[in-house]
Amino acid sequence: MNILIKSATIIDPKSEFHNSTKDVLIKNGVITEIADGIKNTLNFKEIKLDNLHISQGWFDSSVSFGEPGYEDRETILNGLKTAAYSGFTAVALNANSDPIIDSNADITFVNSKSNNNAVSLLPIGALTVDSKGEYLAELYDMRTAGAVAFYDYKKPISNPNLMKIALQYASNFNGLVCSFPQENKIVGNGVMNENITSTRLGLKGIPALAEELQISRDLFLLEYTGGKLHIPTISTAKSVALIKAAKQKKLDITCSVALHNIFYTDEVLTEFDTSYKVLPPLRTKTDVEALIDGLKDGTIDMVTTDHNPINIEGKKIEFDHADYGTIGLESAFGILQNIFTTKKTIDILTKGKVRFGTEQTPINIGNKANITLFNPDTKYVFSKKHIISKSKNAIFENETLKGHVYGIISNNKTVLNS
Amino acid sequence: MSELSVNHLLGIKYLNKKDIQLIFETADHFKEVINRPIKKVPSLRDITIANLFFENSTRTKLSFELAEKRLSADVINFSSAQSSVKKGETLIDTVNNILSMKVDMVVMRHPNPGAGVFLSKHVNASIVNAGDGAHEHPTQALLDSYSIREKLGGVGGKKVLIVGDILHSRVALSNIFALQLQGAEVMLCGPKTLIPKYVDKIGVKVETNLVKALNWCDVANMLRVQNERMDISYFPSTREYTQQYGVNRELLDSLDKEITIMHPGPINRGVEITSDVADSKQSIILDQVQNGVAVRMAVIYLLASKIKQ
Repeated sequence: MNILIKSATIIDPKSEFHNSTKDVLIKNGVITEIADGIKNTLNFKEIKLDNLHISQGWFDSSVSFGEPGYEDRETILNGLKTAAYSGFTAVALNANSDPIIDSNADITFVNSKSNNNAVSLLPIGALTVDSKGEYLAELYDMRTAGAVAFYDYKKPISNPNLMKIALQYASNFNGLVCSFPQENKIVGNGVMNENITSTRLGLKGIPALAEELQISRDLFLLEYTGGKLHIPTISTAKSVALIKAAKQKKLDITCSVALHNIFYTDEVLTEFDTSYKVLPPLRTKTDVEALIDGLKDGTIDMVTTDHNPINIEGKKIEFDHADYGTIGLESAFGILQNIFTTKKTIDILTKGKVRFGTEQTPINIGNKANITLFNPDTKYVFSKKHIISKSKNAIFENETLKGHVYGIISNNKTVLNS
Repeated sequence: MSELSVNHLLGIKYLNKKDIQLIFETADHFKEVINRPIKKVPSLRDITIANLFFENSTRTKLSFELAEKRLSADVINFSSAQSSVKKGETLIDTVNNILSMKVDMVVMRHPNPGAGVFLSKHVNASIVNAGDGAHEHPTQALLDSYSIREKLGGVGGKKVLIVGDILHSRVALSNIFALQLQGAEVMLCGPKTLIPKYVDKIGVKVETNLVKALNWCDVANMLRVQNERMDISYFPSTREYTQQYGVNRELLDSLDKEITIMHPGPINRGVEITSDVADSKQSIILDQVQNGVAVRMAVIYLLASKIKQ
């Protein structure tokens, strides 16, 4: 793949060309020249786009693509296409499937579906067999097949001894254990954040306490065991404080927050709209502010879209019965830019990948081209026509997005929006 | 002629003060009608109403059906203790099937909060919420306020106590909204485990001591403990609950003033209220039942008149 990118503003603090507008020459997938006014002597394909900006390729640490088992929701191939058009060059795929991805063969199957794709698919294996929270899955064997982390998607490990053993065992081979922050006994039949809105709606609440108790437990365990722990999708102010304190103790801990949890509060639920039914639930203004501060000061390591395609049948029903989840890849950039500057947005979208075993690839001469192309300034109202996913359960539908993704250059391939 | 500000009755929180006044004035008229020898008016001869009860109910269902028949509406009934989801059919499909038989209005009881709100967004009929999970039971709150108004001459400025299982109660929530809209003060009393943690943010007082609470109020609305909605034991035993939150004659006699006792039914005699209290002059429990028919007639009549437009 040979390409000449014309006049692109480079947003990459790790690049020596950060904040400058240059031409970038890519030969066989490798950046060979970055300079002003590069002549296209070899007649490479030229990319010349309005207000073009480029950064390192973006990463999402938590996506679900349905396959195997829920192909009616989404397939791996279409999921990767969605990621590419949304600017992501790498995504970590949850074991949110049927059967659950919990063996070497399962990881191999997932990998086979993503071979030769522009987007790198990083499979996450289940932590326990069938994600039932009873017996450890064959973590090392999955690791040898390419699993980047181990996580029972949205299923907390209720047995603390099992979590202790998981952390100890995975540390033998530097494996990353993920723990969903929720104490189910406290949640009971809860379906939304416990607060005044849940009280007014008569819906059972999920107290912030349910999350904070579980995180406290896991941090105690981590301190005892050593090892590497990632807590996906925290949602409360106290969770931020707990993790901040753990980082000060130098524990090997990272965490993420779902994008919708820093954009909405539970007040949007007043009409029982199931689009807003997500887990962890949308919380309060205080929580949102603390989460954003946590991102700014580095306590929270990454933002995820927690992209989870759900059929209309799982959403167009009574709130209690509706499925949790939203898609988010397509709107990620435009929503983040409503909250953060472009520089911070790019920082958020690029720094999590190292934790999930993928190297940073700064836009420098000699590096592989792993690039996202975008225009940070255009605004548009996000609607169904912008959705590439098979399922259309988008929490951000009708929001005004700031910034438009042109596409990606990654794995020696180019994907550009038409 | 005045009309309601809404096309559905989904909850008290969607009404304004004028709506409630209009419903009460209309109910006054219908209360007079149902005490005549011929208890029927021909107002809704061209309206068909479906009563869809996805949860067990005796008095509310009877009360609605009677209200509809006394307005001369055609009535069809559908009852299923299971929600439609469990049978594999969605709620929207169930209701649309019934509506395709040319039904104008749906009265629905459903175990899930927001089921009425959800339905109103997806089907083309006027919806009356007859109770949706722990969300709202607006006609119960209206008849409760109507009964207070009848007994005490008004609701504004009155101190109303709601005792018992607030956590699982749609009656409590609708009553709070209705009473506040009319300018009454509301206090909740019960074990902390049965009071929503953040309910004080709605602007109600919370008291865990029943004697103090009864001394404060003009009216006490005693709720039933809803064991069927509990996922865990919220108190050790019924006996212990009654010791702390049951109203009995002795307790009422110890108060400085004579308060009014209400109960939305069904009563668990000897648990939240003793028989000598339930059957006493202070109790307006049976008035509530009678007023329920008049208030429901008013609600249905006012919503139907909007359909006719």
